[in-house]
Amino acid sequence: MPTKQRLIRYLAALAIFAAADAWIFATLRSTLRDDAARSRDSSLALLADSAPEDLGLIEDWLASVPESLPGGAAIYLVPSEDDPYAYDPYAADPAALDLWLELEPGEDAQKGLESAYYFENYASPVEATLADTAVRLFYAPITDEAEGELLAIAVFMAPEAGAPGVERLLTVFAIGAFALFAALTGVSRFARDPTVGYAVLTLAGLSVVFIVFPLFEAFRLSFVKDGHASLAVWADALSGAHLQALWGSIRLGVWTASTSTLVGFLFAFVIHRTSARGKKFLAAVAQLPVISPPFSLTLSIILLAGNNGLITKQLLGMDNFSIYGLGGLVLVQTIGMFPIAYLTLAGVLQGLDATLEEAALDMNASRWQVFRTVTLPLATPGILSAWLLVFTNSLADFANPLLLAGNYRVLSVEAYIQVTGRNDLGGGAALSLLLLLPTLTAYFVQRNWVSKRSYVTVTGKPNLKLVEVASPAVRVAMTAGVWLIVAFTLSLYGTIVAGCFVKNWGIDYSFTLANIGEALTRGKDAIRSTLTLAAVATPIAGLVAMAAAVIFVRKTFVGKKALEAVMMTPFAIPGTLLGIAYILAFNKAPILIVGTGAIIIINYIVRELPVGIEGGVASLRQIDPSIEEAARDLGADEGTVFRSVVLPLVRPAFISSMSYTFVRSMTAVSAVIFLISARWYHMTVLIYNFSENIRFGLASVLATTLIIIVMGAFGLMRLLVRDTGAFDKSISR
Amino acid sequence: MAKEPVAVTVDRVTRIYKNVKGRPDVVAVNEASFVVAPGELVTLLGPSGCGKTTTLRMIAGFDLPTKGQIRIGGEDVSSLPPNKRDTATVFQSYGLFPHMNVAENVAYGLRIRKVPKSEVDERVKRALALTGLSDLADRSPGRLSGGQQQRVALSRSLVVEPGVLLLDEPLSNLDALLREQMRVEIRRIQKSLGITAVYVTHDRVEAMSLSDRVIVMKDGRIRQIGSPSVIYERPDSVFVAGFVGKVAFFPVDVLGDDGDACSCSIRGKAVRAGSRAPGVVAGGKAALMARPESLVLGRPGEGVVDGEVRQNVYLGSSVESFVTTEYGELLVQIDDPAGKRLAAEGERVSVSFNEERVRVLPAEAD
Ligand SMILES: Nc1ncnc2c1ncn2[C@@H]1O[C@H](COP(=O)(O)OP(=O)(O)OP(=O)(O)O)[C@@H](O)[C@H]1O
Ligand SMILES: [Mg+2]
Repeated sequence: MPTKQRLIRYLAALAIFAAADAWIFATLRSTLRDDAARSRDSSLALLADSAPEDLGLIEDWLASVPESLPGGAAIYLVPSEDDPYAYDPYAADPAALDLWLELEPGEDAQKGLESAYYFENYASPVEATLADTAVRLFYAPITDEAEGELLAIAVFMAPEAGAPGVERLLTVFAIGAFALFAALTGVSRFARDPTVGYAVLTLAGLSVVFIVFPLFEAFRLSFVKDGHASLAVWADALSGAHLQALWGSIRLGVWTASTSTLVGFLFAFVIHRTSARGKKFLAAVAQLPVISPPFSLTLSIILLAGNNGLITKQLLGMDNFSIYGLGGLVLVQTIGMFPIAYLTLAGVLQGLDATLEEAALDMNASRWQVFRTVTLPLATPGILSAWLLVFTNSLADFANPLLLAGNYRVLSVEAYIQVTGRNDLGGGAALSLLLLLPTLTAYFVQRNWVSKRSYVTVTGKPNLKLVEVASPAVRVAMTAGVWLIVAFTLSLYGTIVAGCFVKNWGIDYSFTLANIGEALTRGKDAIRSTLTLAAVATPIAGLVAMAAAVIFVRKTFVGKKALEAVMMTPFAIPGTLLGIAYILAFNKAPILIVGTGAIIIINYIVRELPVGIEGGVASLRQIDPSIEEAARDLGADEGTVFRSVVLPLVRPAFISSMSYTFVRSMTAVSAVIFLISARWYHMTVLIYNFSENIRFGLASVLATTLIIIVMGAFGLMRLLVRDTGAFDKSISR
Repeated sequence: MAKEPVAVTVDRVTRIYKNVKGRPDVVAVNEASFVVAPGELVTLLGPSGCGKTTTLRMIAGFDLPTKGQIRIGGEDVSSLPPNKRDTATVFQSYGLFPHMNVAENVAYGLRIRKVPKSEVDERVKRALALTGLSDLADRSPGRLSGGQQQRVALSRSLVVEPGVLLLDEPLSNLDALLREQMRVEIRRIQKSLGITAVYVTHDRVEAMSLSDRVIVMKDGRIRQIGSPSVIYERPDSVFVAGFVGKVAFFPVDVLGDDGDACSCSIRGKAVRAGSRAPGVVAGGKAALMARPESLVLGRPGEGVVDGEVRQNVYLGSSVESFVTTEYGELLVQIDDPAGKRLAAEGERVSVSFNEERVRVLPAEAD
């Protein structure tokens, strides 16, 4: 069919739908308004009936009117003695009186008075303005039933009838229905294979609703105070105390990033650039903290070095030592985040061509010179990258400071207190938006600048032979350092496990099994809900990530870049902000899902998609597109191609994106702490509650349980993605 | 596989790739029109980047024409997606499904078409037998040699009995010997099934030996369509003449035309050419083409031009003599050299040509 004809038909269909849509909308709205007006009129008539006949009481009654008629007022008109057509007005509100005196000569007012004169109620169709609100006048006669005589006329100034909330919702639905109809029919009419069109529309719709809209709401509501546009929230957010917290976050970030990068480099160097023993073990330990639940390292540090810590108090007898504050935070964050630096730097050092180091050695450079002039410069972009990644993570970290900050202030906790302590959502939004500034800056610098300066791929085929750049003495020192850190990390985990079996840490170290029973009983519901939420989110996130990856790699459509950018943003957004944004956006119509499990699941999916998509994209880029084309060519439609060819081919990426989502969902806290409800609770929050109440035994049991679940998930994933050798060879392009 | 073969019509098709960010648009295919008759094998031949693959992908439906129409068996398929078109493609990189074994690969299209299980087995078996793969049915594609993978790809396309078989340089990943074998094989199978086929290659020998007709393309435009012998012996342009085989050109002035033949002069020396291409008119400049086998060596001064033998290359059934002349280096083919006296390297000779076998082409810039 010629395109022009199709276009005309499409526009005709749109026009018909628009007309029907508008008609339904108008009908519903007028019904709604009529209803509201009718119920208002009858309540006003009732209100009029309550007017006292005794003129002495009239002042009190008038003053009480706004209670039953918020934003409104009443005028009480008593016929004057000498002229039955003239009235003496009484009013409690001077503004209302002024308005009445202004309106009284008008035609409409006369009509109202006349109706009242004949004992009829009259609802005026004319709109007036009382103290900036639109009101309509309602005339009610007040009669003496027995005498059949008009005692007075009550004139109510009632705010505009109708339910503005419901009406706004109706408008949203009407416009939404039209947009949906236009998009869907558009796709089905013009797309060659509508499946892709629908998929793109779905992704775009979900991104707008669950990423753009909540962030926009958070932004918008940070400019609203008590229902009015105002800069007060920001004035408060930028006040001294909060700026101090911002500075605190940045200082913590800089420290943690620096120490983590150092430790990460040490690990990467020892593991990938020396012939140290036990590399596999070291690498495994180096990745352990990534999957450990929030609060667990902090918990263990508190057990060891807290106010009643085993080492500080019991063993060393220190009374004035405090682990709470910057020092303690840098310590736990470094243990928790150096793996990020390690993974980045391991990639860099692994890919580094040893030929270059060999060449330098060959030119009689000393080992230290080789390191300084070759190894280090080549690794510099990677080091910067690692630093920035840890920096963003430290700023966004919420769990560790929550327990361990003491008097030290950081922004993520501040935002949380603003929301839960002061019940100030807008303020919380502003604070977490403030946090976004350094986070986004670091993220974009990392992504667009540093990562493009990598040298790793410059040299053709890398020489994977090891060149020892470190002298034996240095090597021994470094290896010792690494093992020391490993021992410390493991002892932290050991402490958590030990904590499970101690009666009352810090006071009574006797062995007990009671904690386990109590924690599992009290945590039963939380464990179940945590598992359920993660289990539901996991496959959805995996499938959506792979579908999105296919669309981004293989399809072209208008706005692809924008959609990609939007879907990747949650990666750079602190969980605190996303959590606050979600309660702000979804605690009201049209999407009222605060308190449900759905909001938590959606939040998980949205937050973990970027990593899944990146995995899928990387994996698809390796796969010869003609494999999918062959399937399509043989008659498979988009859905079948995805199911029967794409998913099996990207299986490793698919499974790892699922296990990643699962683990991250199990260990979520920063966003989820705002979204939980009594029904849908999260284990991490329970761990926090137990720790806050100094029930360290219970917290330890739950933390251990979480660690076991998460490690189990990882083990399972490893098993599932292993047998891919021969397969990988034949799919690459 | 008894199915009526269908015709493919490409009707004034243009494909423009819009290059954003200020780069110029690429006209990959420019107003291409041709018809592939039912049961015919037509080759798209041309240098790299001339738009062959793009044309084939538009027939398959992976790419859409910017302008123009594509019909398969009379039906306009221009806006149909690939899965709705009665075509099957053999890809250059084969595109075998790595997670399925050979038999599953071949069965894929049938399963999509919901063919009953027993019939699937039957047809897969037949297709594998046809391509000599019966023993490899359980192998995974990763464990096959290039030639075997190529056969799997071919069977997978043939088994669905497509109306049109499309092949995009299917042999380019194979070594020379295998390439020759598969060439014969593909042609044999295509003929025996009577299937309509479009074959893309940049290898002129492949094109010549396989096709019923050859379409020569350059820069997105079709330069000539014809049977291999027409393309080789009666090219219409300098480009086609040069692209499909070794050739020598002599600049000439056209004196007069005489039906298909024409008379012209080379440096004032009158010669006759057995044929001329459209567009050659009396009074204009033109190029006279001579294939190596129409050139003859003689004593200096006897031929059209004098030169010096630079090298003789002995090929068994013939000898190729490279003669340096004022028209550049000419290649002269001397058939059945045994017993003939060859000019020694460095000897001065003259080159003349068999007038019936040379052709005059319009002079062109490229
Ligand atoms: N997706 C694309 N975007 C932009 N330009 C393209 C695209 N695909 C092809 N082209 C351009 O269109 C032209 C024709 O490409 P095509 O692949 O059809 O060439 P070809 O004749 O098959 O060449 P080869 O023998 O190298 O395979 C080329 O200049 C190519 O760069
Ligand atoms: Mg090509």
